[in-house]
Amino acid sequence: MPRHRMRSLWALISMNGFLPLRRQPLYLINTLTSPFSFLFFFYIIAPHSLLPYAVAGGMILTVLSIGTSLQADLTHYKQDLKLQEMVVASPVSAGVYVTGMALSEFVYSIPGMAVFVLLSLSFHSYLLLGGLGVFVGLVLLWIFASALGFTLATYLQDVRETFVISPLVSIALSVIPPVYYPIAFLPAWIRPLAYAIPTTWAANLIQGSIGAPGASLSLSQAFLDVAVLLLAAAILFLVAWKKAQWRET
Amino acid sequence: MAEALHARGLGRRYHWRGGFHDALVGVDLTVPSGCVLGLIGRNGAGKTTFVRISSTSLLPTSGSLEVLGLDVVTQADEVRERIAVIPQESRPLYWMTPLELVSYYLRLRGAPVREARARAKDALAQLEISKWGDTQVNRLSGGLRRRSMVAMVMASDAEVLFLDEPTTGLDPLARRSVWEAIRKASRERRTVFLTTHYLEEAENLSDRLAVLEGGHLLAQGTPAEIASRVQYPYRVTVESGFRREDLAPYGPVSQIGSRWLLFTSEAPARELSRKALEKGARISLGPVSLEDIFVQIVGKEIEAEEVGEDAAT
Repeated sequence: MPRHRMRSLWALISMNGFLPLRRQPLYLINTLTSPFSFLFFFYIIAPHSLLPYAVAGGMILTVLSIGTSLQADLTHYKQDLKLQEMVVASPVSAGVYVTGMALSEFVYSIPGMAVFVLLSLSFHSYLLLGGLGVFVGLVLLWIFASALGFTLATYLQDVRETFVISPLVSIALSVIPPVYYPIAFLPAWIRPLAYAIPTTWAANLIQGSIGAPGASLSLSQAFLDVAVLLLAAAILFLVAWKKAQWRET
Repeated sequence: MAEALHARGLGRRYHWRGGFHDALVGVDLTVPSGCVLGLIGRNGAGKTTFVRISSTSLLPTSGSLEVLGLDVVTQADEVRERIAVIPQESRPLYWMTPLELVSYYLRLRGAPVREARARAKDALAQLEISKWGDTQVNRLSGGLRRRSMVAMVMASDAEVLFLDEPTTGLDPLARRSVWEAIRKASRERRTVFLTTHYLEEAENLSDRLAVLEGGHLLAQGTPAEIASRVQYPYRVTVESGFRREDLAPYGPVSQIGSRWLLFTSEAPARELSRKALEKGARISLGPVSLEDIFVQIVGKEIEAEEVGEDAAT
């Protein structure tokens, strides 16, 4: 990537990530509350053997929150501040803008993600392959969620619309799929629907990678999970590329 | 002189359920490089639509537009390397300081950190807001925030600057610092495309003017060329000595407080001033202002539209 594009990326990460966090550290709470609340509920009401599922779910929810935050921020910047119009009329491409913004949202997730990784290691010291599974699963999910957030944001007319869309996206991506429990817990009739959602495959990969009890993960299953996630990320990336309205038609 | 902008038959139609609205209709406009073009028009005249198409945020539905010889539809990426825009009603990120806003905007456009910071400081000094350079934007007045936005594009290396109502909400002194920044950009041979409601501002800054009304371009040219096109190039203010019916044969008359305002042409203006001298009447006479020209041009268009509508009904 040319040096000036790297500068654009870093400027976006700083503007929307580090700077606001430095001025208002409470922003962190926004991304940490949901995953840690669920972890707490699990700790209180579920057998402790299921805690690794709560940790895997926490990782996934943290990454998905990047997509919803990105959608809200992009809508706000486009509709309220008109920042997107200033960026469109500049050498910054849509790809650099959305990547920079998605990375800036990731900044808020770093502390939470670090805690979840440490917790997962405390349950089961997974090796390089397990770590790779977690990493690949989360990165592909991040691309998927970011592309989805960007595409939706370009169609929303007001930031209030994100209050409607975000919960729907959350239900579709983190409630129906077995993010916080093994897929075997889901009633059989709902499983086909769950398998149609990429988060199910990410959950399967990550639960298996961190050694959650009962979540055995063969190498072929891991490859299948990665392939489905890769396909979903590629499709969403393509949709964002073709359908997102960087320039109003 | 090379052209900074050239529109041919430019149109933009918005569709919605069962209907449509033409925001721009067949606009032909040429802006030479290095000049300040003042685009004036009432609310909803199509000014912002024109700026959004020119700055590659919005696609036209008909016609074509070139910026610096590059087509805004097919060569948008090349155009974007060379332009900068302040959209109407744009606002800064509230957690940043003006210095950060400007320098990060430059870094976003690809400038190295040190260069961005140095240019940002210069731009803030130019707009007389250096004193607030390190104050978080949410603690600044609306005028300082707006000037911070203007500083962002002024500090850029863009050759064509689109400023969509950059001085709205500014006090007279703050407006003058923005005007000075625009003049400086013009001295640097950059092209400034300025939309404004303040006709005094357009008159003061613009080398060329364009008048939009209802999506149609009614006039374009230097202020003198546009002034020469109006039917009544003289404005007469009558304080005493004449009644309305005495003035009516010379041109349209309106009342402003206790005075009469008359628009007229050269020969009647001479006759009226001779009569005023004979009668000892108090009048003042001079060429029409841009505001008067605007009212004459746009007023005639509205009148024509109303006549057309009446005829249709």
